Amino acid sequence: MSVQSNRTASDGMVIVDCDVHVNDLPEFLAPHCEMPWRKSLEILGATPRRYLDVPGYAPAFGLDAPMPGGHATRSVNNPQAMRDELDALGIDYGILLPDHLLKFATLPNIEYATALSHAYNRWLVAEWMREGSGLYGAIMACPQNPEDSAKEIERYAGTPGICSVYLPTAGVDPLWGARRYDPILAAAEAADLPVILHSVTVTSPVFPAQLHQFENYFARQVIGHAFSMMANLVSIMHTGVPVRYPKLKIVFTESGVSWVPCMMWRMDRYHQEFRRTVPFLEERPSEYMRRQMWFATQPLDEPINPKYLVETMEHYGGADRTLFASDWPHHDFDHPRGLAKLPLTQEQRRKIMGENALSLFKLPMPKRLTKREIQPV
Amino acid sequence: MSGSQEMAEHAVETDTKTPQPAPVEYPVGPASDFPPGSHKIVQVGTQEVGVFNVNGDLHALINICPHQYGPVCDGSVGGEMSCNASTGWKFQWSRDGEILICPWHGLEFDLTTGQCLAPKEMRLRKCKVSLVDGEVRVSLRAG
Repeated sequence: MSVQSNRTASDGMVIVDCDVHVNDLPEFLAPHCEMPWRKSLEILGATPRRYLDVPGYAPAFGLDAPMPGGHATRSVNNPQAMRDELDALGIDYGILLPDHLLKFATLPNIEYATALSHAYNRWLVAEWMREGSGLYGAIMACPQNPEDSAKEIERYAGTPGICSVYLPTAGVDPLWGARRYDPILAAAEAADLPVILHSVTVTSPVFPAQLHQFENYFARQVIGHAFSMMANLVSIMHTGVPVRYPKLKIVFTESGVSWVPCMMWRMDRYHQEFRRTVPFLEERPSEYMRRQMWFATQPLDEPINPKYLVETMEHYGGADRTLFASDWPHHDFDHPRGLAKLPLTQEQRRKIMGENALSLFKLPMPKRLTKREIQPV
Repeated sequence: MSGSQEMAEHAVETDTKTPQPAPVEYPVGPASDFPPGSHKIVQVGTQEVGVFNVNGDLHALINICPHQYGPVCDGSVGGEMSCNASTGWKFQWSRDGEILICPWHGLEFDLTTGQCLAPKEMRLRKCKVSLVDGEVRVSLRAG
């Protein structure tokens, strides 16, 4: 761990990280997996592999020649390690999302995917949910089996530590918003659990992941996450998800935020012209976005002048709709200090760094802040 | 409200507030020229105005779309597509003959109020229309 502890920028402020990743190796999940798929995970666990590259589990679709000076390949294997590392980053709470299973939606076998989602959720609750650890969980939805997934959400709603539902987004086909996923969204809304869309760079025939034409990972990484979020946002809007599930709260992660005004304005513009095709949208798409959607900061957009980013945020609701995320321990993680350079008021900073997430995910104020009076602004 | 809409509404307002020579009410033709379901563009002073007969009631609207100043009244008249909890989330067609669709970008307006069906703060400017001795008269004053 090379990250230094630094609370100076955040003293007196709750820091909630909406996106940290737990190492979900197949051998970790195997004991929690139903037969016969436990056998598959045992085989995968005993097979040599590369970082986040496990065929049949986390297919990496690797297309690139290895280069010297490779990327950081950090993993966090247990709650204590995660707690220590988040402490070093100055983060109070982390919302845990998978690592390998970010590519979960690309797995085509419905029975295997269903068993794997069960195993992940059992493992997450059994191994990672510890009272007082500041680690909170997202139940993994299984887009391959929406009806089962709805039951899974009902099963874990109310489990201590479970605060959200993870919607595997990379390579999902059809995109979130398709009506076949309604049982998942209905269950999340009924359980009052926000849904978190999280993508990852994959190359697959599924829109918008057909990234094979790009010669290198630079391009695929630039395109991958952001296009995935754009496509899923439009998909969610075009079937009226926010209207049909007016209490559903939707979080978009790991794509920065600069893409948001672009899609918001495009949807508002075409809503004027094509209202007849989406008559359930009785308000501008941006109105639903400002009410039911949140956007996580990482990877922080880094314009030459940081004020441009703050201005960009203002277009979609600014500090009220923005959540801090680090993406720890991945290669492009953001330290909370990374946001210190943004020209925000103290109130805006508090909201983005943690207060929005406390209220969205219904988390308690951490003890370090309730023990003494919270510092005045 | 966006700047362009403000500009558009302002433009309409400015034009209609330009001092007009008397008479205030312009004759635009005999009532028989405006049968139910008809729609016709007439010149009223400096303005083009669309006169629509919706189920026997005459409605007059200035022929400028607040979106991008298109000739909105040249558009076709249809109904309203809805889909909401009260329709059981099924697509439903209603109010046939009451909705004007701008020929430029397809924005829909309620002929009876001028209200846009999409951005709620956008609306067409309505004119006063009256029937005097079998003659239709339109005034640029708000109707």
